[in-house]
This record gives sequence, C-alpha cells and structure tokens, in this order.
Amino acid sequence: MRFSIYRYNPEQDSAPWMQGYDIALRPEDRMLLDALIRIKAEDDSLTFRRSCREGVCGSDAMSINGRNGLACITRISDLKEPVELRPLPSFPVIRDLVVDMTLFFKQYHSVRPYLINDEPAPEKEHLQSPEDRDKLDGLYECILCACCTSQCPSSWWNPDKFVGPAGLLQAYRFIIDSRDRATQERLDDLNDPYRLFRCRSIMNCTEVCPRGLSPSRAIEKIRLMMVKGSL
Amino acid sequence: MAEFKQARPVFFDLVRIRFPVGAVASIGHRVSGVVLVLFTPALIYLFDASLRSAQDYQRLGALLDHMLAKALALVIFWAFAHHFLAGIRHLLMDVDVGSSLTAARRSAWVVNVTSVSLALGAGWALL
Amino acid sequence: MRGAFSGLRAWLLQRLTAVYMAAFSAFLFLHFATDPPVSFESWRDWVMRPEVSIATFVFFTALLLHAWVGIRDVVLDYLHPMMVRVPVLATVGFGLVALEAWTARILLIS
Repeated sequence: MRFSIYRYNPEQDSAPWMQGYDIALRPEDRMLLDALIRIKAEDDSLTFRRSCREGVCGSDAMSINGRNGLACITRISDLKEPVELRPLPSFPVIRDLVVDMTLFFKQYHSVRPYLINDEPAPEKEHLQSPEDRDKLDGLYECILCACCTSQCPSSWWNPDKFVGPAGLLQAYRFIIDSRDRATQERLDDLNDPYRLFRCRSIMNCTEVCPRGLSPSRAIEKIRLMMVKGSL
Repeated sequence: MAEFKQARPVFFDLVRIRFPVGAVASIGHRVSGVVLVLFTPALIYLFDASLRSAQDYQRLGALLDHMLAKALALVIFWAFAHHFLAGIRHLLMDVDVGSSLTAARRSAWVVNVTSVSLALGAGWALL
Repeated sequence: MRGAFSGLRAWLLQRLTAVYMAAFSAFLFLHFATDPPVSFESWRDWVMRPEVSIATFVFFTALLLHAWVGIRDVVLDYLHPMMVRVPVLATVGFGLVALEAWTARILLIS
C-alpha cells in the first residue's frame, strides 16, 4: 500500500517534505495505525504519537487525506491511495506527525473545565438526577484529540482568542452540569467578540470528530442560553 | 537546546485540506455577503434614481441591456440567493432545527445547488 | 471590547436584522410578482406610501447594521494588524453611516 507522509526533523531539515512509502501490509493490519507501525518497523525515524490504539487516548490525531482523524480507528480499507498523512493543520510541528498542542490546551484550560461549587460539601456525594446526568451525554466523551479545533477555520484565524470547538464543548459540559454553580460566570466569560462568537457554525468540528460528538451543537446551545439569560 | 527555538513549521495548505459541504456553504455565505455589501451603495443609488424622475426610471429599465451589467446582475443574484438561503439555514439551526450532521449536510447541499441553479436559470432568462 | 456591539449583542443584531430582511424580501417578491409597478408614477406613489417608505427605511437600516456585523466579522478573522484593522473598520463604519443618511434623505425627507 502506498503512503505519502509529511516529514520534518528540526535537526536535519530546513523545511518539511513528503516521503513516499510502499509497504506490504498483512491481513491483520486493519487500521491506519497498524500500517504506521509497519512503516516505522522499516524506517524508525518516522515519528508519531500513539498510545491506547483504540480511539480513547486521542494521541494519534492527524490529517488523513485532508481530513482530521485518529489513525487507530481509521480503517485502511476506507482510504484512497496514496494515503496522504500530515500533522494536524495549523498546529506547530515538532517533528513529522507530532504537533505542539500547547495553545490547544491553554484554550481548554481557559474554560475552567472542572466543577465549580463552593457550597458546603454535602455529607455524602453531590447527587444528580438521572435526567440531569443525561445532559452530559455527548459532551463528557471528548478525548481532547484536537481533530475538531485543528479543522476549524475560526480557530485557524484566531487560535489565541477563539476558544475553539473542543474547549467550547467542555465549557458547555460544565455550563449544563446541575452540580456546577458558576453557570452565569461561565456564560459571561464567553460573551465577547472572540471566545465563542468567532464560531460561524461551519460544522467542520462535528464533521471530523472521531467520537461522533457535536461541538457545533454545544455552541448553539450556549448561545441560546445567553439569549435567554439576556431577555 | 537552542536549536529547538527555531520557528516550527505549520502544515496549513488549504488545497490539501478537505472542505466538507458545510464549509463550502459557509465560505459561499461569506463571499456572497461581501459581494452584497459592495453592491449596497449601487443599490441605494439605483433606488434613488428610480424615484427621481420618469426619465431616470426609464433609463434603469435599459440598464440590463449591457452584457457587463447582465453578468454583474447574475453575480449579485447568486449572492443574494445564496446569502438568503444560507441565512435561513443558520437561523433554523440556531433554534436547533436541522443541526444534526446529516441534516446540516443535506441542507448545505440544497443551499449550494439551489443558489447556483437559480442564478443559472436567471442567466438563461436574461440572455 | 465588551460593550454595545460585542459578542452576543452583535450576534443578536445580526439575527434580528436577518429575520426582518428575509421577511421584507419575501414581501417585496410577492408584491412584485402579483402587482408589478406599471409606470414611474405608480412606482413612486407606492414607495412613498408612509407604511412602505418606513418599512423600506427600516429594511435599509437593517441591511446596513447587518453589513456592519458581517464586515466586522470578516475583519476580525482576516485582518489582524491594528494599523490595518482600525482604518478599515473606520472607513466601513463611516461609509455605512453615510449610506444610512442617504436612504433617510430618499425615503423620509421628501
């Protein structure tokens, strides 16, 4: 199977380049990550991140034929040859397919992705009704792989000011958590021209989310809550 | 570790990034919006002229005789159709109508295809 | 940049003006489809009916406000240096205000 892979080694290369590989796959190689491991066995200079190899850790996000996805859960049989692999678009490249996620995580942390509740702790745990718990479905499953944010044009233009789809999905996850007490502060924090409102509902985020989540819908819901709050 | 301080490259080649149909509808929305804004002074000028006198009013009717004016009118017609339809799509999605991925893909197709078809139809009618 | 036209306000303004313009466009379309103006006089008389001229003036106002929010979005996305951004936004803003004055002169002062 033929591959064309983005290569960049800061110690040797003055600029990135594309390297072609033609690799014999075995029947048990079913996912793109299997093929990458096969390639690395032949050329151990090829660098990429991977860990759980089953779509839970979010390490091996990359641009696969122009579309962000996780190598470990992308079926080889679905890919057109030569398979073009590049690092996540718009993120600084450290080496080959490995990108610098500093800004991505900075935006994620900026939404304060944790429960805020200063009330005296109850004797047992903070109870939540099954209905309230259901509201977190489709939100908590995010693995922070950055496929969405890296495919989002609004994040391309203002990566430092726009929180991005991944961060906003997490913002909504805490905004609608019945145990959280900072709902209004969270909404106020997002109400400026950039943090949320750079979103133009392009929905690239939802298109590429390997977990099938919908950041665009979470953003819509935050906007509706803001509208209701301002009436 | 000074050598790591060098500027890191970034993969950002719009030709090598795939744009889903929703992204096409969205960039069309933006382009059509800018076209419409640029046309707005002319629109107000034409509107003003149409109310000034019978002669001016008549002259406006003859405006579309020029080939260039026809071409321009088509671009503006497409821009209006696309901006209008894409706008309705967004307004509905704002209130959670059709904001699932499948529905949004379908509506994006409808917007893109309908606006171009309408413009082609109008072009055919003009010629 | 919190304030009059930031964040939610700008977004709401964009949506509200959009709804008005969509409704007005549909009304115009229906009107011209069923009752097209036959002459300069009939066109002018129709436009100058108070309800029509006021609705049209509101339409142009909505259009210019909508244009402001839209252009501002484009500028915030693509034009980052303040040396470029501020003059562009100022020019657009000034132009839109001038256009608003022009439509007021056409529709309200005559």
